[in-house]
Amino acid sequence: MGQHRQILLKNVHCTDQHTIAGYESRGGYSVIRKVLNMEPAKVTEEVIKSGLRGRGGAGFPTGKKWTFIPKGTDKPVYLVNNADESEPGTFKDRVLLERDPHLCIEGMMICAFAVGARFACIYIRGEYAYPYQRVRQAIRECYAKDYLGKNIFGSNVSLDLVIHRGAGAYICGEETALLESLEGKKGQPRLKPPFFPAIRGLYDSPTVVNNTETLAALVWILENGGEAYAQIGTAKSTGTKLFSVSGHVNKPGVYEVEMGYPMMQFLEEECGGIREGRKLKGVMPGGSSFAILTAEEVAKATLDYESISGLDRTAHLGSGGFMVVDDHTDIVEVALNFAHFYAHESCGQCTPCREGGHWVQKIIQRIARGEGLAGDIELIDSICSQVQGHTICAFGEALSWPAQAFIRKFPADFKARIREAMEGRVQHRVPLNYEFQAAH
Amino acid sequence: MSAQNGNSQELVTLSIDGKEVRVPKGTNVIEAARSIGVEIPYYCYHPHLSVAGNCRMCQVKVEGQPKLQIGCNTPVAEGMKVLTSHTSAEVSDAQAATLEFILINHPLDCTVCDQAGHCKLQDYHYEYNARPSRFLEEKVHKVKAEPLGPTVMLDGERCVLCTRCVRFCDEVTKTSELGVLNRGDRSVIAINEGRELNNPFSGTVVDLCPVGALTHRQWRFNTRIWFTQETESICPGCSTGCNVKVAVRDGEVVQVKARLNSDVNKEWLCDEGRYGFGRFIPKERVLTATVEGREAPLSDALLRAKQILGEGPLTIFVSPALRVEDYAILKKFVDGVKSEAEVVLAYRERSLSALEQILIAPDYAANLRGFEFALPGSRDHQARYTAALQKLASGSAQSVLFLGDLALSWQDQSLDIAQAITKNHRTVAMISDHAHPAARSTVVLPTTTPLEQAGLLINRAQRLQYAEKVMAPPSAAQTTGKWLTQLAQRFGLKLSAAVSDRDLSIEYLGSEPRLLGLRIAAIKPKGIDLTSFKPGEVPSHTLVEATSLA
Repeated sequence: MGQHRQILLKNVHCTDQHTIAGYESRGGYSVIRKVLNMEPAKVTEEVIKSGLRGRGGAGFPTGKKWTFIPKGTDKPVYLVNNADESEPGTFKDRVLLERDPHLCIEGMMICAFAVGARFACIYIRGEYAYPYQRVRQAIRECYAKDYLGKNIFGSNVSLDLVIHRGAGAYICGEETALLESLEGKKGQPRLKPPFFPAIRGLYDSPTVVNNTETLAALVWILENGGEAYAQIGTAKSTGTKLFSVSGHVNKPGVYEVEMGYPMMQFLEEECGGIREGRKLKGVMPGGSSFAILTAEEVAKATLDYESISGLDRTAHLGSGGFMVVDDHTDIVEVALNFAHFYAHESCGQCTPCREGGHWVQKIIQRIARGEGLAGDIELIDSICSQVQGHTICAFGEALSWPAQAFIRKFPADFKARIREAMEGRVQHRVPLNYEFQAAH
Repeated sequence: MSAQNGNSQELVTLSIDGKEVRVPKGTNVIEAARSIGVEIPYYCYHPHLSVAGNCRMCQVKVEGQPKLQIGCNTPVAEGMKVLTSHTSAEVSDAQAATLEFILINHPLDCTVCDQAGHCKLQDYHYEYNARPSRFLEEKVHKVKAEPLGPTVMLDGERCVLCTRCVRFCDEVTKTSELGVLNRGDRSVIAINEGRELNNPFSGTVVDLCPVGALTHRQWRFNTRIWFTQETESICPGCSTGCNVKVAVRDGEVVQVKARLNSDVNKEWLCDEGRYGFGRFIPKERVLTATVEGREAPLSDALLRAKQILGEGPLTIFVSPALRVEDYAILKKFVDGVKSEAEVVLAYRERSLSALEQILIAPDYAANLRGFEFALPGSRDHQARYTAALQKLASGSAQSVLFLGDLALSWQDQSLDIAQAITKNHRTVAMISDHAHPAARSTVVLPTTTPLEQAGLLINRAQRLQYAEKVMAPPSAAQTTGKWLTQLAQRFGLKLSAAVSDRDLSIEYLGSEPRLLGLRIAAIKPKGIDLTSFKPGEVPSHTLVEATSLA
């Protein structure tokens, strides 16, 4: 088993870590005290040096994102902690929010100080009832000790922090849809360009939206320096990354590994190998929005952004929602599950995603039912090609890349079912029922 | 906003399909392409609404950009190279795919749809896709006939969710009655809870709807559009002078649409103007000349009219919905025949809500400014009109001439006035409505309605516009200008040699020094702003105005 530095998870096993006393007894809130005496620009510089990339899925350099905030703006600057974590297979932020909420808050303080935000918000996934309670309690403790509010830690810096619960929409994890939702509107992504959140975000003001894991990593970076963080991992994918492992492995769970770690070793050692001694069929390393990797690709892959995207343009390290399927799995059922999800969660704003997502779902459902037709696979491929790149947000890619990868990498599974139908050997298959009722 | 309103006069040069184009900075790619006659199709874009970017129909290839860009949301930049569906296979594939997506859940009920024949979904499908659908699944079913308010009906299945109607109610009327309910392919336009689409401009959402999802409740299933005659005209309802397109079938107005004119009504129209368009058509028509209530030969009627007008003091009530040409003839008539006659414009103001004022003028006087243009003088129309009306009602008026049905404002067409006119045996009326109080006049001459006459109008912002004839008048009916010309002839005066309305307009434009150099063709598209017009100058239109989409 690899020796991985534990930056984010080092204290999650301590039973009192969620309390401010427990957090402070392990050195908590010492880094922000140090940071408050630094120049804000110096903080951003450290983060740039660290090479930290956004952990929400896109992998955009965090420090660079902060520099987009206009200097000397007369509008308030907002910081939003994206804790919506709605990506299927992803539950890494949950561990942090539930077990170490003060780490997240301290990370937010650092970021807020660096970008000059006076107001910060945690947008937490609606279903995360328990983490919500933990974070809310942590915020109360901070206010009680004047760690939040006016003149935090006795400095001349002020920061107010609120927590907002989402209402269960996947799309509200997309940063502009999240901002719309925060403003009280229907969660729909905004058109970019002309205005990106860093220029006109929440309430038309400059806004930084960062993932919970990204913000939590700031504490260690500011404690040990950006260069120390950059030493971990690979040249372009620095530091450690949380992986939330689910599926057909013996030891599912959340793991913190250093970037660049071989994927197969991770699967065999940390995750305990495939359950019941079966063979690996594929891995979706970055949540449901990217392509599946076949067993052959997994053997070549290492856990970093470049290696995975290098094997397949549409695969990505993403959010670290690491889903494993074994060789007893019918990919048609997997594809159907995903297609249902994306058809259901499309916000309906723009045409290709609104219509294409449902179309793909209906075709895969038909194939799964044993009513597939010759040409269905090509049709799915064609629809997916016309959805990706043509939508307002990245949802178009999120729905079409995995679907396309399923049919391209595992055509045999689809063809088998279609052949059954074409040869009249329909077995009255009952696929898993994800059928949802129309919402009205 | 539209190219015409670009804040800066700074010009940017770019190329579209290899053709060079220079447009003001801030113009978007759709408008820039339109200015050189290249069509970029769209549903959700509207030059006077915010950019939604949701239909994905206007995608174009911009050199240097990895993904296709939407034309509505792409401002021009110096040296930009744009390829449209006419030159790029990637773009035409994307547009064909977008159409296929829109159509998979769209019902194929064109055969019964009011929009068929003027539907952008039909047009674009033939133009940019024209392939059979590959969709084999069951379509999504939504509401088919949901009243949104007293005027508009929604067919949710036909909707392409462009949200133009929602944005109109949010941004223009600011009444926010509409929204989008649900998500994904279950999305549907819906009325917000406890609300009703009943703002004074509600019918405009039907014009904005590029498909047949929103229809006028009073005009649904009325006729197929190809059985109607559509005319581009000007609404005669008030002095705003909204540009409209009127569909007429068998002498009946079957649909009124707003026409895009960025300088007048954008593409909006009030419900009163739209649904009340037919109010100018009388139920009972004056079809022949009458003298003392009895049908009379025209020569007798004109002779009697000459006698009445020739003797004693004369008050002339003038409709504010006549054409500028008519007022010019009236001026000549008064100058030549009866210079002491009192000419009164039937003008009444009304109070309007703040919302109504975004478009509606507080009068019923479509050509108020035209009257003032042709007959300069006192501008205190309302006081003079009410005083003259008082005189008429009290029986102290002597000879009276009514020019047009609106020579008595709508609210003055009362029984009292009718009785006063009956008692006065020295009245001449040029009207169309047999039920009009002035139909009791000594001499009645059958006259055209404002819908039956082509000619010039000047709106309250001093914009000279040309209104086409929406429908043909009955054979005996003539314009007031023509009647005046014939009467003048009996006084030995030649006012005009024109035969048709169009001749008259040409004759007038040729003789009016303040309009020197103007021709109907120059006025017709967008009108001419008289505040900046210099006689003798030929106005240049650098940019082609957006054509109506819906």
